[in-house]
Amino acid sequence: MSQTPVTVLTGYLGAGKTTLLNRILSEDHGKRYAVIVNEFGEIGIDNDLIVGADEEVFEMNNGCVCCTVRGDLIRVVAGLMKRKGRFDAIIVETTGLADPGPVAQTFFMDDEVRAKAKLDSVTTVVDAKHILLRLSDSKEAVEQIAFADQIVLNKAETVSADDLRMIEARLRRLNPLAPIHRATRADVPLDAILGRGGFDLDRILELEPEFLNPPHGHEGHVHDEDCDHDHDHHGHDHHDHHDHDHSGNQAPRYDEDIKGVSLRLDRPLDSNKVTAWLNKLLADQGPDILRAKGILDVRGESKRLVFQAVHMMLEGDLQREWRPDEDRSSRMVFIGRNLDEAQLKAGFEACAA
Amino acid sequence: MTTYSFDAYVTAALFDRTGQALFALGDGTVRLQDGTAIEAHPGAGVLCAASHPSGAGIVTGGDDGRLAWTLPSGAKVLAEAPGRWIEAVAASAASGLIAFSAGKTARIVSANDPAFERAFEHETSVLGLAFDPKGLRVAVAAYGGVWNWYARIAQQKPQTLKWAGIHNDVLFSPDGKFLITALQDAQLHAWRLSDGKDMRMGGYPAKVKSMAFLSDGALLATSGAHGAVIWPFTGPSGPMGREAAEVAFDELSLVERLAGAGQTLVGGRADGRLFALALGSSRTVPLKQDKGAPITALALSADGRRYAWGDEDGAAGVSDVPSLA
Ligand SMILES: [Zn+2]
Ligand SMILES: [Zn+2]
Repeated sequence: MSQTPVTVLTGYLGAGKTTLLNRILSEDHGKRYAVIVNEFGEIGIDNDLIVGADEEVFEMNNGCVCCTVRGDLIRVVAGLMKRKGRFDAIIVETTGLADPGPVAQTFFMDDEVRAKAKLDSVTTVVDAKHILLRLSDSKEAVEQIAFADQIVLNKAETVSADDLRMIEARLRRLNPLAPIHRATRADVPLDAILGRGGFDLDRILELEPEFLNPPHGHEGHVHDEDCDHDHDHHGHDHHDHHDHDHSGNQAPRYDEDIKGVSLRLDRPLDSNKVTAWLNKLLADQGPDILRAKGILDVRGESKRLVFQAVHMMLEGDLQREWRPDEDRSSRMVFIGRNLDEAQLKAGFEACAA
Repeated sequence: MTTYSFDAYVTAALFDRTGQALFALGDGTVRLQDGTAIEAHPGAGVLCAASHPSGAGIVTGGDDGRLAWTLPSGAKVLAEAPGRWIEAVAASAASGLIAFSAGKTARIVSANDPAFERAFEHETSVLGLAFDPKGLRVAVAAYGGVWNWYARIAQQKPQTLKWAGIHNDVLFSPDGKFLITALQDAQLHAWRLSDGKDMRMGGYPAKVKSMAFLSDGALLATSGAHGAVIWPFTGPSGPMGREAAEVAFDELSLVERLAGAGQTLVGGRADGRLFALALGSSRTVPLKQDKGAPITALALSADGRRYAWGDEDGAAGVSDVPSLA
């Protein structure tokens, strides 16, 4: 039985989610969608099958704070499956306040939902003009970016080219894996949003994260509080500092503690060691780990071991054979809160066979 | 066996008081045993169903926000909740009351009094509903426990039975002494209502979607495992401290739906097969051996002689229960 693909659209109010949704619905692709919207969300969606849902986040019974699901989605997906034949795919539009974790976990934790529906990817829509403010005042906006499989940087025409680069660097630091698509009126190609396989182990092909914060002097370097150079006397020539606000904005910066960490090891791993390490890491730090993906070279195995994780939920499998001409190194990327890069690196390297 | 191919998800099957089978479908229709289709929810789908308190016809809740009553002569709307899905319904022959969910509200209407209406608000969506044997109290399963309301009284503070978790379904024991819920994370919870004592009933490999009392309430049979799981409910402590038994075990497929009457139990599996057994007999009798889509609806007539079933793809049937001796 085939599973109905599910696309999740997140982003704060006014970022352009509804514009993107209407483009998906109106473009001539021959697909019929069931759309799940929040009843407090934006209006003006033109589609036959629209379901309103309250965003109800329910904890599972294991006592863990990150093991949460969206109760409304479990019921709506089960209900939609009674109407099969009416639609080919599902789109879930969340409010700007939604935590993407429970939305995604719903598609893995409930057996019935999992049997019938398959989460394809999470797209986060942000608006270039307001994103920096949102990153400083909204925990949810930061999480939605960190969680995304792809980011639509909408209303790109409203800011300067320099600002766009700076915004992109900031987004990449939160999420080194998600491609960023600049857009005006959400005019991204729809194949950048649909059919992405963001949670599909078979689609983990390359993990070449865009580097978090390139070194000084390189395109895309972002100056911030973490820069340990002297800003008054530095000698970079790459750009001026007109975006550089050290004046001490006292509001909490929610993006400071979320970042992506990428690891690489050129020696083969011991499969037992790396499995035990990943299991323990996710058990201990699962609530803080939003997403993780990896391609591993395991000693004695001719195939690539791939995994992906959402909080504590880990899926892994042997994928295709390593090709003789490819870089046979183990790579993994974690995106989360309070990640200790040195500790992760040490733990990973200790898994060498 | 009379079989049907309805080409729509079979949400429910049940027998009316004359012994006729009725099927409620995901295409919004109710089908009679002769195959006649009645549009109960035009352009919409049936999400839940129960026998009407009178025993005549079927009450259905739809994704059109309507509660409908369908008789062979046609369908009529009993209540509306615009913009909502009606995902749970329960009816009591004893009191004539019908309870249905509309978001966070449990609403009550009466089969005998069109003017009667009650609404009980909850903090989260209403997930399951059940009447006690007298039809006076309605149990509302929701996130975090069960809320028991006197169904006729407008203003009251409900009895609250708290237990962490997502309570998808609820059932009273036929003697009214126990309340049982089925949770999202593959376990049951039960309360002894006399003193509120809790019982956890776990060990399931899958979520319990179907529960049925048998043998005058002495036993509870549930789905959620590779066989039918049978819990003893005799004595003052019910299943407390006692072990469940598993009958009709088959490691190839989970039991999805069960129905019981007297000493007879019928079950339907995720691979489309159906079985029956008589309590106390070790023999499991296959009713349908052809595999198919998961069984989603199953009913046994009150005398235990006939069964009706339906599956996810719209295959359905009605037949006599063979000798189980
Ligand atoms: Zn957790
Ligand atoms: Zn600098």
